[in-house]
Amino acid sequence: MNQCKEIRNQIAFYLDDELEGRERTELDAHLRTCDSCSEIFARQERFFKSVRDCGPLYSAPAELRARVEQILTTAPSPEVTPGKLRRRIQRSLQLDGSGRTRFIDARGLTALLALLLLVGWAVAEYVKSRPKPPSQFATMAVETHQRHLRGQLPLEISSDVPDQISNWFAGKVPFSVKLPNYQESSGQEKLYSLEGARLVGYNDGYAAYVAYQMQNRPISLVVTWEAVAHPSGGEEIVSKGLTFHYDSLQGLKVITWSDGGLTYALVSDLEERGQQSCIVCHQGTKDKDFIEGLKPKAPVNGLLR
Amino acid sequence: MSKASNRNKAFSNAALEHIDALYGFAMVLTRNRTEAEDLVQETYLRAVRAFGRLMADSNLKSWLFAIMRNAWLNQLRHDRCGPQFVEMDAEESDRSQSFDHRTTDPHIVYLRKLERDEVMAAIDSLPRLHREIILLRDIEGFSYQQIATILDCPAGTVMSRLGRAREKLRNLLTEWRKGSSDNSVRAKEA
Repeated sequence: MNQCKEIRNQIAFYLDDELEGRERTELDAHLRTCDSCSEIFARQERFFKSVRDCGPLYSAPAELRARVEQILTTAPSPEVTPGKLRRRIQRSLQLDGSGRTRFIDARGLTALLALLLLVGWAVAEYVKSRPKPPSQFATMAVETHQRHLRGQLPLEISSDVPDQISNWFAGKVPFSVKLPNYQESSGQEKLYSLEGARLVGYNDGYAAYVAYQMQNRPISLVVTWEAVAHPSGGEEIVSKGLTFHYDSLQGLKVITWSDGGLTYALVSDLEERGQQSCIVCHQGTKDKDFIEGLKPKAPVNGLLR
Repeated sequence: MSKASNRNKAFSNAALEHIDALYGFAMVLTRNRTEAEDLVQETYLRAVRAFGRLMADSNLKSWLFAIMRNAWLNQLRHDRCGPQFVEMDAEESDRSQSFDHRTTDPHIVYLRKLERDEVMAAIDSLPRLHREIILLRDIEGFSYQQIATILDCPAGTVMSRLGRAREKLRNLLTEWRKGSSDNSVRAKEA
């Protein structure tokens, strides 16, 4: 029955050609043996076909087509360097018709060398400072978040009580999961809700997956051993003695860090660095300045301070 | 002919192939014939200026759609007001009549046309975000990732929005069909 529910959630992705490999084969195999899912599949396929057969919705009017043809034939291409500019560049490079350099004076040579050194230094600085690729754990967390949204990873326990979720993980993962509870006494409005949890496979073992919602926007928390997942890559931000790695993957914000022998990943589609997702653990606590510390600083001359 | 002008010509031919699709998208965004035509022209102008930056392996169609959506958003910002929904009237005649001609049975052709008109009217009555996503996925056949790029949002948002749009469309059609069958029963009873 649970399998039927999972299969039905995937029918739209199948019909949209967004399922591949094992998931597609499994769905095909299930449909061959399950009449009720086959019926739902056929109904959905008919509905999709009736919508898709509507296309194209409109035809461009002939006058518009003529105007666009005019634009395409008369507008200058951005690639073509005007002949006058080409000649000016040639002159400034002191080239003769055969392409050989005619004359470069000593001052020009020194300036050229200085320029090359400057460019080399700038490239080295850029390589040193550019964000490193995201860790395997961050990538897995983003994929898990997306698969959950697609209905491919239904929750194994649905509850909004942190203690229930923490107890459910006991014995299922080789570490203790203790979800913080929102402190009612803080007097703040609770901005997020806990939805539930499940196990997800990672490096021949299991990681804990916890789903939250904040104003209808999903937030995923994935936790595993630090021994199997090292946070790395992205932009590094140090706060309260912990190093947070911020990355933007497939349009989602992911923050990874290690603390107390465990590695965490928070995934969301929230603004800036996605630091608002930290609320799921820190709202109502004394760490008021924690989230502020992860906010991007105001740019100065186009650079981050 | 130079390499650059060959490339220009190839780009022009390929870009022109998408004019109907772009006009359809412009109509979905603006719901107004004149504004849609202006938007299509603006899109091609921007594309001509920017196609030097188009990577060789990029999808031209989704690139043009993304340009159109950005141009439309810019116009909205410039006008400092929300989308202006103008009711369709004369524009109805613009709609392509390219329904399935594989059958020659006039009755079946007529029934298919009725069904198609009904689905089109239902799509038209959806809110803009839902019309837009149904057009991109079901009419134009873009993948979730391509839609995410065009709409500049995460693929997860595309999936959830598409699910909601289809749910609305299905409910609407069920409601209409139920309404029309109730009416025909009442007519028979009378």
